[in-house]
Amino acid sequence: MNWWDICKKELKAIFKNPAILLTVFGGVIFYSFLYPLPYSEQIPRELKVVVVNLDNSQMSRTLERMVDATPQVQLVARAHSLAEAQSDFVLKKLAGILVIPENFYLDLLQNKRPTLSFAGDASYFLVYGTVLEGMASAGQTLAAQVKVTRMVMSGQSMVLAAEQYSAIKLNIFSAFNETLGYVNYVIPAIFILILHHTLLMGAGILGGGQNEELATGTVDCYWLKAPVWKLLCVRTVIFMTIYWLLCMYYFGFVFEFYSIPHLADFHQLNLFILPFLLSTSFLGILLGLLLPRRELATLLVLLSSMPMVFASGFVWPTSAVPGGITQIIQLIPVIPAINGFLRLNQMGAAFGDILSLWNQLWLCAGLYGSLCCLLLWNKKRKFQ
Amino acid sequence: MSALSFTAMQRREWRLLLHDPWLFSLITWIPMALGVFLWSIFAQGIARDLPIGVVDLDKSQVSRSIIRTYDASPALQVIKGFADISQGVAELRAGTIYALVLLPENLDKNTTLGSTPEVTAFVNSQFLLIGKVVNSALLQAQSTFTVKVEVKKNLFSGQSVMDAALSSSLPIGTQTTPLFNINTNYAQFLVSAILPALWQILTVALTVLSFAADKRRLGLQVWLADGPVKAVTAKCITLIVVAFCQGALFLSAMYIWLGWPMHGAWSILLSALFLTSVASVSAASLLFLATRDAARGLSLAAAYAAPGLAFMGVTFPVSDMTLPARIWRSLIPISHYIEIQLSQVNYGAPFVTTIPQFKALLYFIVPLLLSLVLAKVVASPRKVAGEVV
Repeated sequence: MNWWDICKKELKAIFKNPAILLTVFGGVIFYSFLYPLPYSEQIPRELKVVVVNLDNSQMSRTLERMVDATPQVQLVARAHSLAEAQSDFVLKKLAGILVIPENFYLDLLQNKRPTLSFAGDASYFLVYGTVLEGMASAGQTLAAQVKVTRMVMSGQSMVLAAEQYSAIKLNIFSAFNETLGYVNYVIPAIFILILHHTLLMGAGILGGGQNEELATGTVDCYWLKAPVWKLLCVRTVIFMTIYWLLCMYYFGFVFEFYSIPHLADFHQLNLFILPFLLSTSFLGILLGLLLPRRELATLLVLLSSMPMVFASGFVWPTSAVPGGITQIIQLIPVIPAINGFLRLNQMGAAFGDILSLWNQLWLCAGLYGSLCCLLLWNKKRKFQ
Repeated sequence: MSALSFTAMQRREWRLLLHDPWLFSLITWIPMALGVFLWSIFAQGIARDLPIGVVDLDKSQVSRSIIRTYDASPALQVIKGFADISQGVAELRAGTIYALVLLPENLDKNTTLGSTPEVTAFVNSQFLLIGKVVNSALLQAQSTFTVKVEVKKNLFSGQSVMDAALSSSLPIGTQTTPLFNINTNYAQFLVSAILPALWQILTVALTVLSFAADKRRLGLQVWLADGPVKAVTAKCITLIVVAFCQGALFLSAMYIWLGWPMHGAWSILLSALFLTSVASVSAASLLFLATRDAARGLSLAAAYAAPGLAFMGVTFPVSDMTLPARIWRSLIPISHYIEIQLSQVNYGAPFVTTIPQFKALLYFIVPLLLSLVLAKVVASPRKVAGEVV
């Protein structure tokens, strides 16, 4: 069989298979709109908070207004006791409680250091953090004002006092994802997972389906007649071409569409895409050779998606994950790929910094490529 | 041919689950292995010793003391000191450190002179969750240090009482209370949402594969021949029982075996779980019967169930989701279930407050009815005749 024959038959096997088309093109395009959907607002804003003002002084009402003015929270209810606030919290599904203690103003005047209490629902991490951030920033602003007022009263000039209210100031800047947006956080990593998983599924469905055909013995098994290396070359090149286009769709169109920052230079991006797609294609073909039926590839890949997301290190620090787990999954291309693409494209790392991840992908490609050769060769021998 | 009775059909379903090796794995060791895997990722619960780097341009007593304060924070660990900023930034970009702190020249001198030097920190917020942990740990460490310096200054400048010195450096104290998750333990926060999402994926996959197994063994026509409604109902009931038991096991692993606090009524929680089992099985059976193909059905099921976690509203609040997101969310049973679970587990909300979610779950009887109709259409001989003509 010559190159052209194999090519034609492979293309036909892929493009006439509705399950592959649905998974590869349908999946990638559907997910590119579905996944960013819940996060399109980027950051939670104006979360609803109830205030318990036990002081009722002018100062405490100023604080209320300052809290309300922060972008993070919004005062929606007023309670007269903590118990009332708690029941409001549960019934109205609020995000937090602010308690201004009795004699807040008096204590402040008398230099007695009153204590403000913030409470938030800590089972929703992002909501909790945002509510506390809003309330704490208002509290700090008020504290700074009080301090400056005191310094001015004790004789310092206003200008100096405004500068010197703290001994050392800490300015925190967000590097990369400057807006702390949720789309910018989740989507770059999840898209790599989607490209990886749909490619595995596509190649797996093709191989699994051909195993089914082999078992029934009804269809011409061209893939066992062609020379092993030629078949592998053709199949890999076809999947890589399809996925290179889909990569361009993701990294180009979708990143632009959602205004996700992208720092990598085009050539370096492609240099990293190459071993990513190669190793993933080989793993997909390997799954296809191993699994007896088409749908099993989809099943395995589907079940692996959540473990991969959470073990990859972009949600939860790798150092906090048990060592055994982080080591086993290094052999799955998506793990070095997520880490590499995030560093290259989101954080602007130099290619030299991700060289070890790049090598790891080539290693995966070598491993799965040779396993594919071995298995296909073995199958071919049995067939003949 | 004598028609199979309903109980015989159910026995057939159980035999299928126990004898097909893939289905058997899917109801036994796979859920357990995945559950343990996901739990063990977050088992440590709290992020500790996250690596950060410093650029100390001052090299004074004050700057060293600040570095020690950062290092003493349980969440942070200063792993590297850099001679200049560019090296530090390169490491930050390479992801080896989560934050880079820049201590300026004359830090010591300016602190003593009282002219408020500024320390600058760059936190990697590409890893949003980790970045937030680092951010708040830095703020906390810094304010501990600042108060220490200011109290010392106040004491020197004549305020003889410790309390007054503390009060003038920090005029308002704050106390933060995390409700319902007292240790702000991520294991509980994330795993209690991840496991239900995983359970729904498993249930949907099991349902599709179970239909596919019958198609493979007998062919849909033959399988449905003894009464399509009866056959589909028998299958769904069996799968619902399996899914319910699996879900109950996940819940008891979290709230009984691991002993996480559970303040609500088990009766409400388990009823919600049961309705969610019905909803997931009915949605999945519709997906299969609409495609009548294992691979396509499972691909659709994957697209349907896999992003469940994103839409649950645990990682990102529902109140900030746009309308299309909320519409898609309402089509996924697990997002209604998780609201009931959280309100029960966290604050034992009365049943009345969860009625909207229960109602939403009841609507998922519609896909089940649709799949019964589809089964009838598939089984009817007229369709076969139509295809022949």
